[in-house]
Amino acid sequence: MSLPRSNYDPRRVCINPFPSITLGKHRRTIGIYLAGGLFALANWTFLDAAILSAHAHPPYNEPQVPPPVHVTFLDWLPGICSLLGMLVINLIDKDRVQGHEDFGDARAVWRARLFLFIGFALMAGGLAGSVTVLVLKYILHHYAEQYTYYGYANVSQNVALMLSSIVLWISQSVSTEYEYTLSI
Amino acid sequence: MAHAGIKSSYSYLWDYLQGCTQARLPAVILLSFVLAVGFLLVILSCALWSNWLPLLVALTFVLAPLPNALFARCGGDDFSTEYDGSGPVDLGRFITASVVVTGFALPLVLAHSEVITRGACVMSIAGGALVYGTILAYSQTFKEESDYE
Repeated sequence: MSLPRSNYDPRRVCINPFPSITLGKHRRTIGIYLAGGLFALANWTFLDAAILSAHAHPPYNEPQVPPPVHVTFLDWLPGICSLLGMLVINLIDKDRVQGHEDFGDARAVWRARLFLFIGFALMAGGLAGSVTVLVLKYILHHYAEQYTYYGYANVSQNVALMLSSIVLWISQSVSTEYEYTLSI
Repeated sequence: MAHAGIKSSYSYLWDYLQGCTQARLPAVILLSFVLAVGFLLVILSCALWSNWLPLLVALTFVLAPLPNALFARCGGDDFSTEYDGSGPVDLGRFITASVVVTGFALPLVLAHSEVITRGACVMSIAGGALVYGTILAYSQTFKEESDYE
């Protein structure tokens, strides 16, 4: 599908570093549907933990003990970071990042890469923050499994958000390359 | 012998169903019947436990094909290929997929935190899937019809 020229183009820095997956004709559509599904799944995983925490009741054998920990705004922060990072990554024009100088000056490419870096840093920060919250807030206090679930849900939200943005990026950049070969 | 009889009756049924889809009108009646059953399940899942939160599921599944339908008009007419790299179409597909997953996830989350019961969860998911499947099948037959003409 790809012309040999685009394979050893020395200007290629960031385009499609992943192995090209062939799902047939509708791979772009499938990838985008998959990304949307993962996005919703991620947010619902965390919302599940939040709603569970809001409706948490004491264990049945000792009804006087209140639940020791709740989902607070601290738990929402990594997810918000990841969402912002996903937004930044997807707002960037992908042709700019690939570094075609004929599209604009080199400063535009540099700025696009800077914003891409900021987006990825936000996503990675969200993931690292969720792991931090899991360890510091839930694991170190030795809560019951019912409560450490909040932390695990937070981590899986951020992992799924990252997977969603990766799938979105792959499915869109594969099609960009296809269009590129079409236009040549 | 009986096997062959069943098979032939199945093929007869299949021919009948194909004839129905050719005729379109019984297909529309069947689809509306399935839609009514889906709404019945969702409303029953609310009314049996007198907790009207699962009604959101029906709303979600009704709204699910809307982004695709809206943003499909924004697709580029310049290339007019099916998987054309157009941003609005992608956005519509993304929103559609996330809304569909929301429709399945919402009753599960509500049942997990014991806001609604497990039976209400199952019934509302089944009803919502029926409603969404009806909408999909209807648009599919409609598209086929426009292909014919």
